[in-house]
Amino acid sequence: MKRLIKDLRTGGVLSMATFMDKLLFFLLVALAIAGFSFMDDLLPAGNLVNISVDDTTVYKLYLDEDRVVSVKGPLGDNIIEIKDGKVRMKDAPCPQKLCVRQGWVDRGAIVCLPNRVVVSVGGDKQHSHAGDFDAVTK
Amino acid sequence: MRNMLELSPPRATSPLGRQNPEPTNYVTGNRTRRDDRRWMMDDGQNPESGRQKNNSSFIPHPSSLILLLFMFCALFLTACARQDRVFKESRFVMDTLCTITVVSPSEKQAGKAIGAGFDSIEILEQRLSFFSSDSEVTAINNAAGSSPVMVSKETFGLIQKAIEVADITYGAFDPSVAPLTELWDFSGQDPEHPVVPGEREIKLALRSVGYKKIKADPSASEVLLEEKGMKIELGGIAKGYAADMAVEAIKARGIKAALVAVAGDIKGFGSKPGNRPWNVGVQNPRTPDAKKPDRTKDIIASLHLNGEAVSTSGDYQRFFIKDGKRYHHILDPETGYPAAAGVISVSVIAPDGYMADGLSTGIFILGREKGIKLLESMGLDGIIVDADRKVHITKNLRGKINIEEAD
Repeated sequence: MKRLIKDLRTGGVLSMATFMDKLLFFLLVALAIAGFSFMDDLLPAGNLVNISVDDTTVYKLYLDEDRVVSVKGPLGDNIIEIKDGKVRMKDAPCPQKLCVRQGWVDRGAIVCLPNRVVVSVGGDKQHSHAGDFDAVTK
Repeated sequence: MRNMLELSPPRATSPLGRQNPEPTNYVTGNRTRRDDRRWMMDDGQNPESGRQKNNSSFIPHPSSLILLLFMFCALFLTACARQDRVFKESRFVMDTLCTITVVSPSEKQAGKAIGAGFDSIEILEQRLSFFSSDSEVTAINNAAGSSPVMVSKETFGLIQKAIEVADITYGAFDPSVAPLTELWDFSGQDPEHPVVPGEREIKLALRSVGYKKIKADPSASEVLLEEKGMKIELGGIAKGYAADMAVEAIKARGIKAALVAVAGDIKGFGSKPGNRPWNVGVQNPRTPDAKKPDRTKDIIASLHLNGEAVSTSGDYQRFFIKDGKRYHHILDPETGYPAAAGVISVSVIAPDGYMADGLSTGIFILGREKGIKLLESMGLDGIIVDADRKVHITKNLRGKINIEEAD
């Protein structure tokens, strides 16, 4: 342990590495960072906001229609706001309010575990929306 | 209004998902890479070289070099390859919102092609406008009953096509229905106090209707309306034709895939990046939300366009309601009243936009049975929604489209 600290201080570990080792290290870091940006794309996206309490869907709303809804769970009311193509948990009765702190999302999901409320964004084949299409004939 | 936006590349082409072009890059790659490979082979014959011999050496082990190259390309593949992107622009032309979507690796090429597409639609608009005093259509109408009028190749072509569609639909589609359209004046009606024209006026206007009295002389590119009071109005076919023209202009610019939507008259060719087809929705003629009857949401069916055009005629586009009765803008040239054949929406898929546009109007007037029969005899496809909101499709279309549940 002492040796490792000493190595770090004098640059021992890095001096042991070849130029290519260092390059490889930085590339791996870069790849990991790049991976984060692709995470967003891999999460399901869509135009439909599905709000459920205790696994029962209570609302299906369009992401491009601004509105605020309130749903009742075992602990009280969750306030969900849809605005400018994004959705957030505006208020929640849970103690830690992790869901509120998650802020605005346009894909993926917001979960308020204590109050059994799940807000998820995704497409819905049963109910297509003009936004899913390249054009609409009318 | 201009609204240029570049859509992000689809998921399938993100670097993580597309590593297969790698080997090709390597083989056909530039000189340095090939040199690297030769160097590697040399090195392979001499296992004592490189890192194993001396840790502080700056000569890397060959395999790590290959790995690095691979990772580099995986990271920056999107930047390296000239990837197809999707460009989209909307403008108000032909009194409606037109959207042209183009697939191209170059923003410049896409911009030029989109411009050429809109130009061709704008030229048509100038020539075909029923309301503008200096359009070719107005010149023909003003000379009705007196002299033939020479018109441009495009206008003449469209009038011939309009007559062709009129023949096919047994006169249900009629480009000479304009005296009736003027009488009903759906665009100028006061929605609070709509006026239904009197029976006598309608009978009078009906006398000036009849596409057989349009004489088109191809040798001189001249058009004559035989009787005074006759008027042609190509609105029922012009938007589909405009989509055809825009597609030709875009193809001439070397574009491999595009979608032109002149309001609801759509024509597409090629496919989107990642080989995904153009996905077109058919609007639900009766939206569930009665408070917003004109919103462009809620789709009853979706289909893929590959080189074809699709058009829809419905009783929900322009209409007024008086004494609980819906009066819509598709007039039956036989009765002079809005068509009452028991359908509320007709979509037609055809190789050409003008045919899809004209046929959808004609079939709306003919009704479901005759319409389906006509389409099937022509080898074309269609989707018809009847007054009970049942969706009917041509035989050939079964299994090819997604029918959504209408609420």
